[in-house]
Amino acid sequence: MKADETATRVEALEALLVEKGIVDPRAVDEVIEHYESNVGPLNGAKVVARAWTDPAYRRRLLADGTRAVAELGFGGPEAQMIIAVENTPTVHNVVVCTLCSCYPWPVLGLPPGWYKSPEYRSRMVAQPRGLLAEMGLELPAAVRIRVWDSSADARYLVVPERPPGTDGLGEADLARLVTRDSMIGVSRALSPGDG
Amino acid sequence: MGGRSEFFGTVAREADEPVFHEPWEGRVFGMSAFVLSLLGRNVDAFRFAQEQLPRRVYLSGYYQRWLAGLEHRLVEAGYLGPGEVDARLAGHPAEAIGRGASPIRREVTSRVLRLLLRPRLPGWLVGRVFPRIFGNARKAPERPRFSEGDRVRVRASRAPGHTRQPGYVSGKPGVVVSHLGSTVFPDAHAVGRRTPPQHLYTVAFEGADLWVDAAEPGTETRVDLYESYLEPL
Repeated sequence: MKADETATRVEALEALLVEKGIVDPRAVDEVIEHYESNVGPLNGAKVVARAWTDPAYRRRLLADGTRAVAELGFGGPEAQMIIAVENTPTVHNVVVCTLCSCYPWPVLGLPPGWYKSPEYRSRMVAQPRGLLAEMGLELPAAVRIRVWDSSADARYLVVPERPPGTDGLGEADLARLVTRDSMIGVSRALSPGDG
Repeated sequence: MGGRSEFFGTVAREADEPVFHEPWEGRVFGMSAFVLSLLGRNVDAFRFAQEQLPRRVYLSGYYQRWLAGLEHRLVEAGYLGPGEVDARLAGHPAEAIGRGASPIRREVTSRVLRLLLRPRLPGWLVGRVFPRIFGNARKAPERPRFSEGDRVRVRASRAPGHTRQPGYVSGKPGVVVSHLGSTVFPDAHAVGRRTPPQHLYTVAFEGADLWVDAAEPGTETRVDLYESYLEPL
């Protein structure tokens, strides 16, 4: 189907569902607005920045991601079981969903196009080192790469390493360094002065 | 799709990508959220509907397959007649083929859905209540068969129909690294079959065990797998 044909089909479907009283179009508007404005990687960035600055919170996050994320008021569909996995100098974590496109919506928003692409879904489990390098993240051979294929209920959130030279920064400044891609595991967190 | 070389290629990243590229993508997402709630949140059935699409439709795009999956679920539930959307597009007078929804049910769905649409929610609600509403955790009748550190092998073939057993781990040896409790079994839930909840485990696979000669050194993949997919090793 061409793009405009798809748009016409969606319009026809919605008209039918509204006429039949199956769907409330105002609720549909609000769902769209919510995912465009309220939900996004800034939520996850706050979680990570809190974990970087508060050792007790970090322990709670690694022990029970769902509850720790809920402490900041985030949760809902696609986050019934959040598992936070932490990068270290010797282990790098990266997340994929090879079966569909599972992703922790409440902390990262809706997934970007590349995460849903057949190329990413097929290659990340088979060639993680090569693919990460292609995406701009060259990891030393001594760093073990751990790929999480979110194939069931759990949704994974990567806690990137805190960048050097950030000792004096507070939580809000740190959160600005935590990108969406660093929480999927395809890049590092930014350093002060980057970008 | 894991490990299937027919899909290998460059991963193209788009700078400043919008949440929805076209307004219709948002409408499909929003309608799916509404209809899935109305139909009792069976995400497994929604995924299965997408997996059954012709390959060409499945690969045509993420929201294209959501749209096709949504129509499939609506027909399955009797809310749309087969071909009803096509008939409308062809300009046929709207014969009421499928049924309507009860206004009370629509109103309840609308209210529950809207309850979620806030930037922040109380911690007790998202931490304790939501996982029970949205989550699939259920008590399994049996004790877990495996525990951390157990060596296991994934059964050689996948069950027909919907399954959460990725093809690339089938027949492969791995180690249980955690027990994630027990949940509704998606393979059965997708077709509305009642079976007991199953224990779910995270299993770690060495790159060399999965990809043999093509494996990159120092890599592993962790996959969440249901108990019936696993055999002791």
